[in-house]
Amino acid sequence: MELADLLSPSRVSTGLPAASKKRALEELSGLMAAEDPALTQKDIFDSLLSRERLGSTGLGHGVAIPHGRLKKSQRVLAAFVRLENAVDYDAVDHEPVDLMFALLVPEESTDEHLQLLSQLAQMFSDPELLDRLRSAGDSDSLYRLIKNWQP
Amino acid sequence: MDFTNQVILIFSLLLMASVLASLFSARLGMPVLLVFLVLGMLMGEDGPGGIEFEDVQSAHLLGSLALAVILFDGGLRTDAGSFRVGLKPALSLAIIGVAFTAAITGVAATWLLNLPWLFGLLIGAIVGSTDAAAVFSVLHSRGLELKQRVGATLEIESGSNDPMAIFLTIGLVELLAAGKSELDWTMLSSFAQQFGLGGILGVAGGFVLLWLLNRLRLAAGLYPLLAMSGGMVLFGVTSSLGGSGFLAIYLAGLILGNRPLQAARNIRRFHDGIAWLSQISMFLVLGLLVTPSELVTTAPQAMAVALVLIFLARPVAVTLSLLPFGFAWREQLFVGWVGLRGAVPIILALFPLLAGLEYADTIFNIAFFVVLVSLIVQGWTVAPAARWLGLEIPPRTASWQRVDLDIPGAFEYELVGYRLEADSPATGRLIGALALPDRSRLVALIRGEQLLGPEVPEVKFEKDDHVYLLAAAQAIEALDRIFITVRTPERLKAQQFFGEFVLNGDAKLADVAGFYGFPIPDEAVDASIADYFRRRFHNQPVIGDRIRVSGVEMVVRDIKEGVVVQVGLRLAQKTD
Repeated sequence: MELADLLSPSRVSTGLPAASKKRALEELSGLMAAEDPALTQKDIFDSLLSRERLGSTGLGHGVAIPHGRLKKSQRVLAAFVRLENAVDYDAVDHEPVDLMFALLVPEESTDEHLQLLSQLAQMFSDPELLDRLRSAGDSDSLYRLIKNWQP
Repeated sequence: MDFTNQVILIFSLLLMASVLASLFSARLGMPVLLVFLVLGMLMGEDGPGGIEFEDVQSAHLLGSLALAVILFDGGLRTDAGSFRVGLKPALSLAIIGVAFTAAITGVAATWLLNLPWLFGLLIGAIVGSTDAAAVFSVLHSRGLELKQRVGATLEIESGSNDPMAIFLTIGLVELLAAGKSELDWTMLSSFAQQFGLGGILGVAGGFVLLWLLNRLRLAAGLYPLLAMSGGMVLFGVTSSLGGSGFLAIYLAGLILGNRPLQAARNIRRFHDGIAWLSQISMFLVLGLLVTPSELVTTAPQAMAVALVLIFLARPVAVTLSLLPFGFAWREQLFVGWVGLRGAVPIILALFPLLAGLEYADTIFNIAFFVVLVSLIVQGWTVAPAARWLGLEIPPRTASWQRVDLDIPGAFEYELVGYRLEADSPATGRLIGALALPDRSRLVALIRGEQLLGPEVPEVKFEKDDHVYLLAAAQAIEALDRIFITVRTPERLKAQQFFGEFVLNGDAKLADVAGFYGFPIPDEAVDASIADYFRRRFHNQPVIGDRIRVSGVEMVVRDIKEGVVVQVGLRLAQKTD
């Protein structure tokens, strides 16, 4: 499974003015809910939030990868936002987060999904990519940056 | 006059050569103590130095003095927090372990050298203890950061097993000097006396010294001297009363090092220097004392004794002593390997000489040879062994500059300084946007010669800024993470080592398993992550402990008061 296949330009958003971690997660849930009629924003949000309760998904350096599993979802879905202002995320390095990549996987999870998460974590620890994502102008260029990233 | 000047010149040259040689040893990864010892031998009668030194009595005095200082410094540096995981296994090693090591080595020595068996046992006792100076210096060299279970156990062991070896040696020497050829029960009561008195006087004396240091108003330079002389008085008093002075001074150092203490940094820095001086002079003098050409005559037997000690006696003793503590085999193997012998066996080997025992020369030469072999074989390979056995953990950062403020009633506050580098985490961030830990405050920002801040929230940190903060000791680790760039080898990068995500210790294992779709063992259904680790690691989990559950791995990331508060989750094992 390729990372680029999970994302579409419609699920990338930039300059989102979220004031808190919860608000940001809601926005991400909304982006993903719009894609699959079987899913509601609330279901997705609850799943992401319950994962956060087990431990923050903030990776450090201002990046978070919230993720969840849902019974009703049929395929892997992703969304990406860049926040206007970084929000407090309780991340390992205590830095506030402004880049968020959300991943939603179906109930019958496979090793492939674990690999996917690992790959995302690797991708978002590339300082060069983070710099580019932060200075990119619009959501289209954000989408292209993620799509074209090579390890 | 001329003699005085010459002695001063020779000794200062030797000291300087030793200091400079330490640079060279760091580059080669050679244990620095070995360098000092060899330098001493080169200066001695068989080497180019040609100095004749055969004064056993003064060598013994200097050696004991130096050892006491080194143990005091070791105590000052030992974090009492490490006692949580290290104390019990270390004590077991220090008492049972030394006895087994001495017995096995002793039997081998009796047979190999064809000596009466009490003399063989004496050799075993002499080389029975690991050396605090050697272990501390090897473990703290070159940023080696070990799993706490292993590091703490080894350090506490090396600080506390000398009394056992000293007691065994003195007991045997007294028996032999009295012309006996069988073991005697009086040894047991003398053992209790050594440990009991040493322990009680060490703790009591430590607290008295602490009280004195915090109460008196002295010139700044006198605090370290008061601490050292206090420790030495304690050593002397305890020893004259028949207790173990070495144990007492180690415990006193431990107490001073782990309580709020006036002029603490000053005292530490002084003792760091004085401990180096002690190590250098002790090893130089011991190197001078030995006659290398005499070592050769017993070399094959001595080599055999050393090999038995390293490959049989120590590993067996470690395995038996650690049986109740649930160490993993890799950890046991490593503890067995770091059975470094150092100055203690050489100093102990002076006792038979002083008592005028038969075979005393042979015993001294064997002990010296064993120490040489141990320093070369084990000292050189500790770091690679730790790496090979996977016992390293990512290093912590260290502040660039720390100054005691000695604020009356609040000794724990310090002034910490950092020089920012281009890739320091704080560089480029707004001062106002920085989230500082509790009990810390920015007090100055100095750029070039200009004093900026702290009231400039809209200024960004730049490369080469000097940042000063007032902070309580507990906040400093968090500050280090903000201001210092950690350059770690790839395999120890946090993400590589601890995994991609973090989980809280109180999260239920079943909930985590639900998210990642891995099965969990039946007995863990209701357990939190912290419980699960506690059960699996005999109630004493440490940072770096890992549990694998079908493809994913959890690695302990942080521990507070013995409870796992954070673990890393490794999803992909790329490098295993």
